[in-house]
Amino acid sequence: MLKINWFSPLLPAHSGIAYYAAQILPILASRHEVIAWTDQEQVAPDLSGIVQVASYHRDNPPWRALNDADVSIYHLGNQGAIHGGIWQVSRQHAGIVVLHDLCLHDFFAMVFLRLQENPEAYLGALERWYGPQGRHAGEAFRTGGIGAEAMAQRFPLTREAVWGALGVITHSRRALEDLGENPACPTAVLDFPYAATEESRYRGWMTARAAAPGPPYRLVVFGYLGRNRRLGTVLAALAGLRERDQFRLDICGQLWDESHIRLEIERLGLSSLVNLYGFLQDEQVERELSTAHLAINLRYPSMGEASLSQVQFWDYGLPTLVARTGWYASLPEEATAFVRPEREIEDIQAHLRAFLADPGVYRAMGERGRQSLKNHDPEKYVDAMAQFASTALASAPHLSALELARGIGDDLSQWLHPAASSYLVERVSREICALAEGETGTLDGE
Amino acid sequence: MKVLILTSGVPFVRGGAEILADSLQGALCAAGHEAEIVTIPFQSCPPSRIPEQMLACRLLDVTETCGIRIDRVIGLKFPAYLVRHPHKVMWLLHQHRTAYELWEHPAAGDLIHYADGRVVREAIRRVDRGLIPEAKAIYTLSRNVSQRLRRYSGIDSEPLYNPPANATLFYKGPARDYFFFPSRINPLKRQWLVIQALALCREPVQVRFAGEADNEAQQIECMKTVRELRVSDRVEWLGVVSEERKRECYANSVGVIFPPVDEDYGYVTLEAMLSSKPVITCADSGGPLEFVTDSQTGLIAEATPQSLAERMDALWADRPGAAAMGEAGRQRYQDLKISWENVVDKLLC
Repeated sequence: MLKINWFSPLLPAHSGIAYYAAQILPILASRHEVIAWTDQEQVAPDLSGIVQVASYHRDNPPWRALNDADVSIYHLGNQGAIHGGIWQVSRQHAGIVVLHDLCLHDFFAMVFLRLQENPEAYLGALERWYGPQGRHAGEAFRTGGIGAEAMAQRFPLTREAVWGALGVITHSRRALEDLGENPACPTAVLDFPYAATEESRYRGWMTARAAAPGPPYRLVVFGYLGRNRRLGTVLAALAGLRERDQFRLDICGQLWDESHIRLEIERLGLSSLVNLYGFLQDEQVERELSTAHLAINLRYPSMGEASLSQVQFWDYGLPTLVARTGWYASLPEEATAFVRPEREIEDIQAHLRAFLADPGVYRAMGERGRQSLKNHDPEKYVDAMAQFASTALASAPHLSALELARGIGDDLSQWLHPAASSYLVERVSREICALAEGETGTLDGE
Repeated sequence: MKVLILTSGVPFVRGGAEILADSLQGALCAAGHEAEIVTIPFQSCPPSRIPEQMLACRLLDVTETCGIRIDRVIGLKFPAYLVRHPHKVMWLLHQHRTAYELWEHPAAGDLIHYADGRVVREAIRRVDRGLIPEAKAIYTLSRNVSQRLRRYSGIDSEPLYNPPANATLFYKGPARDYFFFPSRINPLKRQWLVIQALALCREPVQVRFAGEADNEAQQIECMKTVRELRVSDRVEWLGVVSEERKRECYANSVGVIFPPVDEDYGYVTLEAMLSSKPVITCADSGGPLEFVTDSQTGLIAEATPQSLAERMDALWADRPGAAAMGEAGRQRYQDLKISWENVVDKLLC
């Protein structure tokens, strides 16, 4: 059993990670000793019945108490206001970092530029990982010469977020590899956890869907609908489809720019086909998803994040259109309908036509998605997380050794020409390894 | 033989470890060897400096100097004992205690209060586990230190007792009405516990404290406790005393109180025995328990004011018993045959 410090947004914070935590913490706390640390003013009262909840201040963390645990697990995403304190502690007290977004430029722009008002820290981070080119791009970003999306894709700053970590957990191997931001520490890729709804209830949803077979077929877009959710593209694809009257599009969730979307709907002549529902309560979500026929879950550009919405769609056996990018690109082919980012409208329309031609193919896709949820079992996830934490702890000495070597190497390079320092470098390296391994070597001439 | 004594210390601070290193050097020279002390300046704050100092020690080469071979090195303290040498012998005074038994200690724990404290603690523990065994022989200051080394690092060692400085000069005098408690004033020595016990004593017990506080705040805190518990008339603060005065205080006491927290060794116990005085100590005091047998050479209390007060009352009220236990202590010391000659023989064999 591990003693774990857990740092994540907690309900009622408006964050998908808070919902994720609500799902994981009860299981984790049943197997390990967990303290959930928070700098939020409010925490859902029922949480304290599940785990010990304790407060910290980001500028004066309680190191004495934190050092009591075997390991700290930090959850980072792109919301600077929510994750800023967590990152600040993680930089000083090494632990396991769970990356819920992989492109974290937005996060660091918010933390360094807005919250800390420290542009040098922002530019320094860019230079650290991308050299002078990174610094120059950062300067351009500050003056509006480069947009946030371009910065996030070119300079994701993922390594800044996991700098000094003992281990990193992501939910997508491919997304991390695509970024070229592999951290120096051990990494683990775990399937995003989701507890599938019991089978009898699922069958009830299937019955409800069968009772309204369509046409018209109900399409649904769902969740926090930011700019990268491609709503404009979806609307354009629908508007350009000759068979568009056979579909209805329900847009459920908070929109980044509602007035703009309303204007687009009107401009494209889609008012009779598109409904805007805003944020839905749980029972409304169930009604909507159990009767929809096809979900559209596009993200481009992707921040590399796993999608709670996607596994929810699968829970309802809903076939889904996703962009072949980031985490989504690693989803099983047989359970997902892919849309190429560079040919979005063409691919969306092709899928909608294919759906009309044979809805059963897509229905089967949704069923396979539902079956794939067994890979997302939260209990397995928790066990894998704890196992990885133990493994990462075992390799922690190597990371400390690397840190020491980096510092000594910096010093040596100041004193000696590389050609002249080979003996010294070799000697120091050997001794650092001996310290890290706790192993005795032999002296020259011994 | 040419022998180097490897120790570490804080510049301008001199304590028992420095005295021991000096005494060892003297004993080696008296035995006909050449001996030098190499003291590595040690800084434990911030903890991130500690691995650098470990590495620095590791990089030192003391196998020879100006073409002259160093025959033996004796490692005493962390991180100096990490220095490599083909003929290294450990005589471990203690490991870096706040990475071990004092990690969580409310007053003494320091690493635990730093963000990277746990990482540094693990580095220290790993290095000790791996590199202490490279020595040709491993001795420790006491059974208590050996037990810790076994418990935390899984390393077997042999305790090697040494006599207090000027051991032959201690003597027995007539018991006057006071207990003696010589030590640095700090939370680990627990003068506070004795003051609290004094307030609970039924006998008119008097205590003379000798030694200076590690810092002024601790001295002030001590005085405040004395006033609050209204025992000012039963406490005497001698401050720093000369060696001669110290021996006199031992000689004329009813007994010696020495209740530290998990002491490595504790010269106070040995000095009391050399002065034929019984020792009151605590069940968690570590080193003193290797020499004090309850009701034979002293009394062992639980580490509570009440328990300690009961033992103080008992000894105070039973002067013949106290004298007999003091004599038994002196005999016990002699039976142990503690000598520098023995220490030197072991370390150089």
